[in-house]
Amino acid sequence: MNRDTRHAYRFTAMAASVLAAFGSAYAAEDEVADPTKPSSSVHFGLGYVDSDNSRFGQYSGLNEKGGYGLLGADVVMRDDATGRWLRFKGRDLGLDSRELRFDHQVQGNWGYYIDFSQMSRFEPFTVNTAVTGIGSSNITIPTTTTAGPATQLKTERERLTLGFDKKLAGNWEFKATFRNEEKEGARIFARGTTGSTGGLGNFEFTPEPIDSTTRQIETIVGFTGERLQLSGGYYGTFYENKHRAIFITGGNALFSGANNTINPIALPPDNESHQLHVSGGYSFTPTARGTFKLAYARATQEDNFLTAAELAPTAVAAGVPAHLGGRVDTTLAQMGLSARPMPKLSVRANLRYEDRDDKTPLFMYGAGGATWDGNNEPRSIRTTNGKLEASYLMPMAFRLTGGVDYEEKKRNTSPLRVVTFRETTEETAYRVEMRRSVAETVTGALAYIRSEREGSPFILTTVSSGAAAASGNRVAPIHLADRTRDQVRLTVNWQAAEQLSLQFRVDEARDDYDQIHVLGIGPREGRARNVAVDAGLTLSEQWQATAWASRNETEQEQWQHVGTGTAGLVWAAALKNTGDSLGLGLRGKPFQWLEVGGDLSYSDLKDEYGQQRIGGAAGAVEPLPDINTRLTRLQVFGKYALRKNAEVRLDYIYDRFKTDDWTWTSFTFLDGTTLTQEPLQKVNFIGVSYYYRFQ
Amino acid sequence: MRATPRFDLLRALGMLGAALLFLAGAPAALAQPAPGKASPEETCKQCHVDYFSGYARSKHGTKADLRTPANNGGCLACHGDAALEHAAKGGGRGVGGVLGFNDKKVPAQAKSEVCLSCHQGGKRIHWQMSAHAAGDVACSTCHQVHAAHDKARDKLTQTEVCFSCHKDKRAESNRPSRHPIREGKVACSDCHNPHGGAGEKMLVRDNVNDTCYTCHMEKRGPFVRTHQPVQENCAICHNPHGTTTANLLRQRAPFLCQQCHEASSHQGNIATLSVISSTGANTIARGCLNCHTQIHGTNNPSSVGNQRTFRR
Repeated sequence: MNRDTRHAYRFTAMAASVLAAFGSAYAAEDEVADPTKPSSSVHFGLGYVDSDNSRFGQYSGLNEKGGYGLLGADVVMRDDATGRWLRFKGRDLGLDSRELRFDHQVQGNWGYYIDFSQMSRFEPFTVNTAVTGIGSSNITIPTTTTAGPATQLKTERERLTLGFDKKLAGNWEFKATFRNEEKEGARIFARGTTGSTGGLGNFEFTPEPIDSTTRQIETIVGFTGERLQLSGGYYGTFYENKHRAIFITGGNALFSGANNTINPIALPPDNESHQLHVSGGYSFTPTARGTFKLAYARATQEDNFLTAAELAPTAVAAGVPAHLGGRVDTTLAQMGLSARPMPKLSVRANLRYEDRDDKTPLFMYGAGGATWDGNNEPRSIRTTNGKLEASYLMPMAFRLTGGVDYEEKKRNTSPLRVVTFRETTEETAYRVEMRRSVAETVTGALAYIRSEREGSPFILTTVSSGAAAASGNRVAPIHLADRTRDQVRLTVNWQAAEQLSLQFRVDEARDDYDQIHVLGIGPREGRARNVAVDAGLTLSEQWQATAWASRNETEQEQWQHVGTGTAGLVWAAALKNTGDSLGLGLRGKPFQWLEVGGDLSYSDLKDEYGQQRIGGAAGAVEPLPDINTRLTRLQVFGKYALRKNAEVRLDYIYDRFKTDDWTWTSFTFLDGTTLTQEPLQKVNFIGVSYYYRFQ
Repeated sequence: MRATPRFDLLRALGMLGAALLFLAGAPAALAQPAPGKASPEETCKQCHVDYFSGYARSKHGTKADLRTPANNGGCLACHGDAALEHAAKGGGRGVGGVLGFNDKKVPAQAKSEVCLSCHQGGKRIHWQMSAHAAGDVACSTCHQVHAAHDKARDKLTQTEVCFSCHKDKRAESNRPSRHPIREGKVACSDCHNPHGGAGEKMLVRDNVNDTCYTCHMEKRGPFVRTHQPVQENCAICHNPHGTTTANLLRQRAPFLCQQCHEASSHQGNIATLSVISSTGANTIARGCLNCHTQIHGTNNPSSVGNQRTFRR
């Protein structure tokens, strides 16, 4: 791994790793002089990570062995006479995950803020590569398999947000927000072609350079009255990519010829969108309210294409326009009503219509083929949702609810496709629920939901001659297939004793998919189950404990057929993901001047990839090895009060990551690039900080 | 630590006078203490000093803003006029009919109505239509109004609030492939508006894709070559809460791809780690994306078949 050699002592605040690890921030309001005035705090200290790692510090920046400075602040000032607030909040100051925010407002009049946020994502795999030019548009790939030095891929985002609000006359308000984000780095990317001479195929490492700017602008005018509320405005977004493509020099000779010269590789084009929207609500009576939203958006993509010279030797169709002329107009209309026509009866109704109309002009960019007419493929979708729900309050504070949810999607389609398709799907879900929310000791809910999805006939995949494709029309795509889904949800909250609260939750869903061909291939069944138990215990006035355990399972069965026709091997995949997790927490204040606490979390994750032969042609079908991952984190802290407004805090974190993930362990790119990950990573972090509070 | 209540004769008369004023038809929404007598805050803080302190330090307790409870009855603005009766009777849980937001016997709707009398606008316009409102979640279920630090409004601590009900998301957010939720860089409220909205799944934008594009705008296109499920819904392939497969995919290749694609050449091949067969290309490393690298779509205008198959 190439390291930033400036790593010795870097200022970083605790929050991203330590405060995140501990959840709630330490309340700073107990011990200051005036209980009516906001209080401020600053903290600084030193921390130490005992080993390089790729998981513990993946997002926090604490991925290198060494010392770190800890620094943070939350300074709040209020002028009681004018209602003027000034606030400065800093976290992770000095590290890649720094956050700073400054707020200035006269409450009830105007306000503005400036927010800066930085975030790094370190690729958890170490890349050993001889490819050069990583992070730029121009990369050079060795022509033969070549071992290379270790490289750390990462992406970094820097986000600046400006906000302003002003109370206007009456109950009107104006708000404006501007956000600018710069993203830089590189990520794993590749090019490939099959048909190798006895190997896996020809795959070369072509890291994608990232250097982009994303901007969002939002202006809102709002009205808040006693019965009527309105909110309308403009939302604009802009994406700019400073890299048009990856241009490759070198590479294996197998990547040659008009078809196999996968060079250049186009990168995401600039695009933008503009939306006007208005939404509102009106309370007809204290128990009846209507809401609505109307919105219109236009998204465009007019970034110039790579030139014919840049794309050579690959051909470009004659008369290709300068750019796609991409345009998608989206219209949204929603209205809803909630009412209580009788004291014990509540109803809700909602209707939503969204029309995504892709108006990108058609052009024959390619010569076409058996399953392709050469044109680009605009994607339009029209979605209609309806909801109707009634709820009746029964004796003993039980509430019985019944509801129907409906969704229809209509899609356009291309005349030639490689995937079976249907233009319309309709799904109706019926819900019944019994809930008890108002009770001293036991509350909860039991719900059952039955969903049925069907739609228009599946459109045959045809070849360019107009004949039905010999090897199509056999798999109904998972998001289009006829499906029945049954879901059950049970939640119980029990205040077993004044000191003990228990929570129990189970939900289970089962999906059954219809197949459209005698072979029976495609998605067949799915199942998800989540079980969780939580307990909160007040041991004494000074000590509190929490504990939780959960099990999560998802399963999917799907069949496939090898090769064209219908006489090949038919095989099944039985995919299963299981997660067992538990957590323990303890907080205590054994003395007035000492507070201690700790949290332990553990997750045991397993992915199973069962495969077996179902029928058809003979052939060996073996399951893939399971992937097991275990995550353990222990966090403890102690706070020693030096005086009423100052304390010293000691933090310790132990983080353990273990996996037998085989994704990259036996793979080498044609150019010699490998990706590796330490299967066992153990990290210890210790930090000491001084906290000072003031007004 | 709760202060010892001190109800001397003068204070008791003051509270009694205030109560009589209410009975005499004082303006219903703006209960005020009798002239020269203690304000509601002064009364309530005798027992609830911590709550009073949190309130006084907050936006609600800012007197310079005439809209706040500080100028509209103090504690009574939210807890109701019966709070004085509660105090007059010596306090205690359930005494005097005060509206307690931690009281489990008070319906969620009644609690929320108090907050909505001021905070119905903006992002809360659609609250009554939301799944949270339908599920008897009150404002006070998530928000700590009297605390200097409201966990729901801090990215670092927000998940503590959300995960108290959404247990499955608690487990998913700790999976190896995840958003930086634990580090406080991405919070639930970056994607969801828990107060409701016109979009699906209580998202901040009108649909799944537009929400994802706020951070992943490079996926929007449109492109010369589009991949239909990508344009329809990112969640067909990705689980944004966390998974065990890289890039937050619901399942690894080739299984994910085989949920739609059928064999015309190699698509239906079994998954294998074999390194001596071309089918090994569909499982290890990037799986199908070893070749089909532009899986979200490509703007490459080349006139060649493998442009159509997302390879350049």
